[in-house]
Amino acid sequence: MDALFAIAGKDFVISVSDTASARSIVRMKKNCDKTYKLSSHTLLAVCGEPGDTANFAEYIQGNVRLYSVRNSQDLSPSETANFIRNELAGSMRSRKPYNVNMLVAGVDQNTGAASLYRIDYLAAMAKVPFAAHGYCAYFVYSVMDHEYTEGLTLEQGFDIVKNCLTALKERFIVDFPDFSIKVISTNGTREYDLAEI
Amino acid sequence: MKLRAELAIKCATHESQTESRNHSIMQYNGSAIVAMVGKNCVAIAADKRLGQQALTVDMDFEKVFRMTDRTFIGLSGLAADVKTVHDTLRMRVNLYKHREERVIEPKTMAHLVSHMLYERRFGPYYIEPIIAGLDKDNKPYICATDLIGCLSLPEDFVVTGTASDNLFGMCESLWEPELEPEDLFETISQALLNAVDRDAMSGWGAVVHIITPDGVITRDIKGRMD
Amino acid sequence: MDRYSFSLTTFAPNGKLLQIEHALAAVGNGSTSVGIKAANGVVIATEKKTGSSLIDISSLEHMAMVCESIGMVYSGMGPDFRVLVNSARKIAQQYRRVYMEDPPVRILVKELASVMQEFTQRGGVRPFGVSLLLAGVDERGPSLYQVDPSGSYFPWKATAIGKNMVNSKTFLEKRFNGDMELEDAVHTAILTLKEGFEGQMTENSIDVGIINVIPGSQSGQSNPTFQRLTSAEIKDYLSNIL
Repeated sequence: MDALFAIAGKDFVISVSDTASARSIVRMKKNCDKTYKLSSHTLLAVCGEPGDTANFAEYIQGNVRLYSVRNSQDLSPSETANFIRNELAGSMRSRKPYNVNMLVAGVDQNTGAASLYRIDYLAAMAKVPFAAHGYCAYFVYSVMDHEYTEGLTLEQGFDIVKNCLTALKERFIVDFPDFSIKVISTNGTREYDLAEI
Repeated sequence: MKLRAELAIKCATHESQTESRNHSIMQYNGSAIVAMVGKNCVAIAADKRLGQQALTVDMDFEKVFRMTDRTFIGLSGLAADVKTVHDTLRMRVNLYKHREERVIEPKTMAHLVSHMLYERRFGPYYIEPIIAGLDKDNKPYICATDLIGCLSLPEDFVVTGTASDNLFGMCESLWEPELEPEDLFETISQALLNAVDRDAMSGWGAVVHIITPDGVITRDIKGRMD
Repeated sequence: MDRYSFSLTTFAPNGKLLQIEHALAAVGNGSTSVGIKAANGVVIATEKKTGSSLIDISSLEHMAMVCESIGMVYSGMGPDFRVLVNSARKIAQQYRRVYMEDPPVRILVKELASVMQEFTQRGGVRPFGVSLLLAGVDERGPSLYQVDPSGSYFPWKATAIGKNMVNSKTFLEKRFNGDMELEDAVHTAILTLKEGFEGQMTENSIDVGIINVIPGSQSGQSNPTFQRLTSAEIKDYLSNIL
């Protein structure tokens, strides 16, 4: 039931995730951050089986950071995404696979190019301009398809996000308490308030 | 081995028999790939869609890979395994190149792929590859395997993916022997485009590679983008 | 015995591994083998030595087919050779299992040499007391390789190993030329063996193996196939020499 989507521009990615933590029909928490900072310029957003998401994301976070410490250099977004996919693909063929859907957003510090990778729980990965997971995908994909233009500005990106959220509010039976909106750009990661955008 | 996909898809499609369960894994992401023999040339083409059942997720997903200068492999089936198998095969082909100081021939690669797949006989990769290339004597080579590596070696064309039935029909009526590269391009493109137009799981444009002794011509083609 | 002679993995101060030197000495005591690469094939040949005239010499095998396209012969210790034949055959079949074709000679040699190298470094084992000559044909044409107990290997146009190695090599240096056809090469190989042969050379006292680039049409082969010459065939060659 999580809402998770992202939009990539030339040199930024906007990641949007809801902040609800639910168990069955009960909302247990409403300010839960479902994103994980892997390095100054890469962000991992997750949704799926609650225990699996946190466990797998923290495992990835640990290993990506360990790489940075060992090599005094961060993994690029594509390296990070491929590493994550590989770990998940390995887990898929184990006795107890992780059920995690992910978006990997990042800016390559050498080229300044932003990229967004969509990885589903089966470990299928695609580099995409915009992406969504879960039920919310059925609502926001059409909005993004309609409004996305190549090389859009941050403001245009925010407009799409707003329209996506409107669509969710209008048509999705789940009511989300709040959304965490993060922008990854050459300057690093910054969180935006819903009112700010 | 039990893939989570099996469970998920089993629930989604209300299928319970083992046969059809595996079948729906092959149809989860959607794909259409075809290879054809021409006169001193071969062509391989694939659609670009990546979906999750009916939901389209990516319209520029790569399914055909250039493994050597003159040998291509197309991987249909579960997108996760498309990448896993491509990565593993790339490793094997590179190791072969360094160890043997020669480039792997299409036929040899076909047997390598077959071996890689049969190695996983009881927990297979859910993909059905096709291989197309020219050998060292410029002789066209095409082949297809099933998900556990059983090779089939027709001399005209091979098809795979969710649109394979449609592709069979198209190829059967359009293909003719001894086509020159440009005619082969036209034939394979028309076969693929018209096949995916009647398949909901594949489409969104296509990529075509024509392999000739002088080099490879790669063209992106637009189809009905719906 | 000094303290560097026992452990395989202990270097002597002069930088040598003595056990490997000793293995080479075992090869030097073994019966001579020669190999010649011709324009259209390869021949390998060896002496069959026996301690007693009562041994049925005709069924002694000093030479082995590794796979259709590769054969090998040795100088040194027979039992060690058989172990290596097993390894080589397995390597070839494993390659075939993956690629559905025979391994190129160089690949087989490299793999086999790495088995021999492992026996110079692992614990609880000794090096093989044999040097090998491998003859084969692949898409690059004919080739002849020597592999030593250390695991090092060399490609040759013509060479000899074993007891009479030095003299045989001198002989080959004089006789060898690159345009030589396989027929000539077999002849030269037998002559080379004859040089240092003790006693009377007969069709039963040597072993000769050939592989032809163009498969023999009379035997109905479609690929280059390694063959040991029959005693009748060897007898023919011998009658030309005598």
